[in-house]
Amino acid sequence: MRVSEIAMVTPKTVMECLMYLSNRGQDARLLAGGTDAIVQMKEKVGRPKIWINIGKLDELRFIREVGNEIHIGSLSTHTELANSKLIRSRASVLAEAAERVGATQIRNMGTIGGNIATASPAGDTLPALYVLDAELELQSFAKKRRIKIADFFLGPRRTLLQNDEIITKIIIKPMQENEIGIFEKLGPRRAQAISIVNVAIKLSMGSKARQCLAGKIAFGSVAPTIVRASKCEAMLTLGLLTDQHIEDIGKVAWREVSPISDIRASAIYRKDMAGALLIRGLYRLMKRWEDQ
Amino acid sequence: MPEINFTVNGRSVSVNTYPAKTLLDVLREDLDLTGSKECCGKGECGSCSVIVGDEVVCSCLILVGQIEGEEIQTVEGVGSLEQLDPLQVAFLECGATQCGYCTPGIIVAVKAYLEKLNRIPTQDEIKEALAGNLCRCTGYVKIIEAVAKAAKQQFV
Repeated sequence: MRVSEIAMVTPKTVMECLMYLSNRGQDARLLAGGTDAIVQMKEKVGRPKIWINIGKLDELRFIREVGNEIHIGSLSTHTELANSKLIRSRASVLAEAAERVGATQIRNMGTIGGNIATASPAGDTLPALYVLDAELELQSFAKKRRIKIADFFLGPRRTLLQNDEIITKIIIKPMQENEIGIFEKLGPRRAQAISIVNVAIKLSMGSKARQCLAGKIAFGSVAPTIVRASKCEAMLTLGLLTDQHIEDIGKVAWREVSPISDIRASAIYRKDMAGALLIRGLYRLMKRWEDQ
Repeated sequence: MPEINFTVNGRSVSVNTYPAKTLLDVLREDLDLTGSKECCGKGECGSCSVIVGDEVVCSCLILVGQIEGEEIQTVEGVGSLEQLDPLQVAFLECGATQCGYCTPGIIVAVKAYLEKLNRIPTQDEIKEALAGNLCRCTGYVKIIEAVAKAAKQQFV
């Protein structure tokens, strides 16, 4: 398939898009921000017969509070997430992750739905979505379903998404008054870097100094999909998060991850860095909590 | 081949081409606007930066079929030979260009950035705003100086 032979349709509504997908889902591929899809097209690994250009479906571009949930339209860009008052105040860990994606140009183009559907183990918004208990709404012409984000990923670049489905929205639980979160990322440089390791942390703090009541930790880029660090999470509540206890939690991190060696880093380095990033994240969180 | 209509630097254009051609290739080959450059071709270097609407994006990762009806601004739309944009003057005065390959992308990225600001940015903010634009000649000191100078002129 040559690039010049690829057709494009631009649906005006989600329904129209779903109709195309139900008829031509096999041959078509959704094109949102294009920061990944177009690179794949150029590298000859992802050439559909038809691009379905959904970039202009404004009905999927929103960020709003609905009851005790935050609903994010799948076409919201990383820039919109990072600048959203609602996300910054009630889901700060996601705003921090969105801010660390690529650079200005890429954040202006790339969408959160695209970051999820691409299913890269290194996707920066994904660990943040894990610790915020995100759910995804998937819609096809015939039906709608809502699934937990952890169930969505089957492996690198493999998801539950069917040929005739699109992600319409992402639903997250807003953070409470006593909850704090942080996103840490290690890349070869600050901008434009694919993560070597990334981690999102969300803690519920108690009334005593450095008392953690519960916490969630999710690592990216160290396994085929995002992994929750359940042993580290259990340790969070075993004692006050003193500097010593934070170091102890970091020492366990390597057992939670199963990275590969690739062009970006070796497995052993990733294991070491997973612990280091977790320790750094917890330190910074404690500092923020105490400064509040 | 479909006809695609959009606006470039305030001028309405229509091109007949295949929809999966990149905006960058259309600008350079069909519209003879060769200011925007291709370097990495995958969104890492920023030399193809253009403004779509009011946001800076990589034109090498946008297909022309996606920009039907949009307003595009390229480096050719920033100032003119007779009347340079203050930003371009600042780049000249600071010597913020060497081989010039990255310069159009940087000018466009800074233009979009300064237009959304209402105050003088700090050094770190300028660095962050230009993190998506690589220069391999000489470093960034003079580029950052030039942006700070242009920003001061804009807001004082």
